[in-house]
Amino acid sequence: MAESYQQDSLVIAGQRLGSRFLFGTGRFPSPAVLQQALEASGAEVITFAVRRVNLESTEDDSVLQHFEERQLTYLPNTSGASTASEAVRIARLARAAGLGNWIKVEISGNSRTLLPDPIETLRATEQLAGEGFVVLPYTSDDPILCRKLEEAGASAVMPGGSPIGTGLGLLNPYNLGLIAEQAKVPVIIDAGIGSPKDAAEAMELGADGILANTPVAKAQDPVMMARAFRLAIEAGRLAYLAGRIPKKKYASASSDWAGSLYEPADGGGLKI
Amino acid sequence: MGKDTWKDFRLYVITAESNHPGKALVDVMEQTLIGGADILQLRNKTGSREEVLGQAKALRELTRKYNVPFIINDYPDIVLEVDADGVHLGQEDLPIAEARRLLGPEKIIGISTHSLQQALAAERDGADYIGVGPVFPTDTKPGRAAVTTSYVAEAARHVTIPFVAIGGITLGNVDTVLASGARRICSVSAIVGSSDPAATCRSFLERIEGASAGTLLVNVNGREQLTSARTIEEFVKQLEQHNKKLVVERNGELVPRALWAETELLSGDAIELVHFVGGG
Repeated sequence: MAESYQQDSLVIAGQRLGSRFLFGTGRFPSPAVLQQALEASGAEVITFAVRRVNLESTEDDSVLQHFEERQLTYLPNTSGASTASEAVRIARLARAAGLGNWIKVEISGNSRTLLPDPIETLRATEQLAGEGFVVLPYTSDDPILCRKLEEAGASAVMPGGSPIGTGLGLLNPYNLGLIAEQAKVPVIIDAGIGSPKDAAEAMELGADGILANTPVAKAQDPVMMARAFRLAIEAGRLAYLAGRIPKKKYASASSDWAGSLYEPADGGGLKI
Repeated sequence: MGKDTWKDFRLYVITAESNHPGKALVDVMEQTLIGGADILQLRNKTGSREEVLGQAKALRELTRKYNVPFIINDYPDIVLEVDADGVHLGQEDLPIAEARRLLGPEKIIGISTHSLQQALAAERDGADYIGVGPVFPTDTKPGRAAVTTSYVAEAARHVTIPFVAIGGITLGNVDTVLASGARRICSVSAIVGSSDPAATCRSFLERIEGASAGTLLVNVNGREQLTSARTIEEFVKQLEQHNKKLVVERNGELVPRALWAETELLSGDAIELVHFVGGG
């Protein structure tokens, strides 16, 4: 059993990943905590953002210097873009930096909710897939849009559970379930995850992986929380593979009544 | 004069009759234009409106002949009456918005500023250019503390509309002002008070051109910067950013690190230096 689980790896664009946890690197209290949390998470894919350097400082404050020793797949995001062409520009910048060709398309259509702009996201996905990028679009939890992103060349689709950083969990598990059911590419639940319970729930719905940042980075103990997410994601995946029981309205005892020493209670007026 | 071509001015001259007793205003100012001054302001804080109007008419005729923009200090009404190109305001004069309402969108509005805060406010309020000064103590504006070249340097870094350094600037100290990042110079008494205003103007222009030839004005990460760098590599080093893992974009095109040394930097280039920060 343990062996077959080991072989159950996530494959994105032909690349086999040992962990289903995609690790966001923002908002950690310190680089040291970030590195320990990454270690504890077991993640092999990290995300980060592209920004202007601070010309007032000569010190290298790039996040990447903390990962030079590790074998990681880089997933830069296009945050800060509000149009497809802005996202394409950021993607090209990241690729030119020699960080590989994976890109998380993130195009915000509203500064308060940071919800993704579906039209621009689809456009950018099409364009970047055409340019040879491995495109993982952060998208609304819309099954039709996810299918169109897949058709446009997305290597995975990443519907949000709820708006970025809210920790509200999975607001539309029904849609996420549909997306997981129909998708021919991996489905990564990105954004809005509040705690490992949400991650496990998403995995049980059939998601192939979880991208989380804020719930780890802003936890009281980010390193412990990173490990909690790792376990929850594994647990959720195993539960999905194992097949959960159907939900029923009324109880069914774990042992047969036959041979019981007493008659069943009859309170509450419920007769089946 | 073509819209916006006035912005390329380098030497701004202002009238100061008290500096040339015995010489006629129009004659002295004509000498400055012969010497290459490329924007002229009539400033008369003591004369009557009639007197200012008379001078404005004469200088309007003169500046037309030399195709040089003509600005009047205060008196928006006279600007309209003689069809001058614009008005110059002080901080205590009427607000920019009011001047704009009186003069319409086409006229040039300039304003004197004495701090970066005033400069940025002027920019926001729609000024077309600003005066930055007084750089040195000056008899033209007695009692006003000199802002020194540090304000000139600040303006060079943060102000996006044309700015002209003014106040006590002479051939003896203009190089310091230019070294602080000014590319437009205004001098009053050193020019109109000299025995040969045309020759003095030519000398000023040589200094300004000399300074401009050595430096490029580029936009880096959204702000203007003067640099003597000739290549991307030199520029990144001058900014002391060469020890960072960063990506350079020049005018929307990526410049791979291997090509930094051979990629020429040109005036007007838009350079972006970006790197990677934590994110989800």
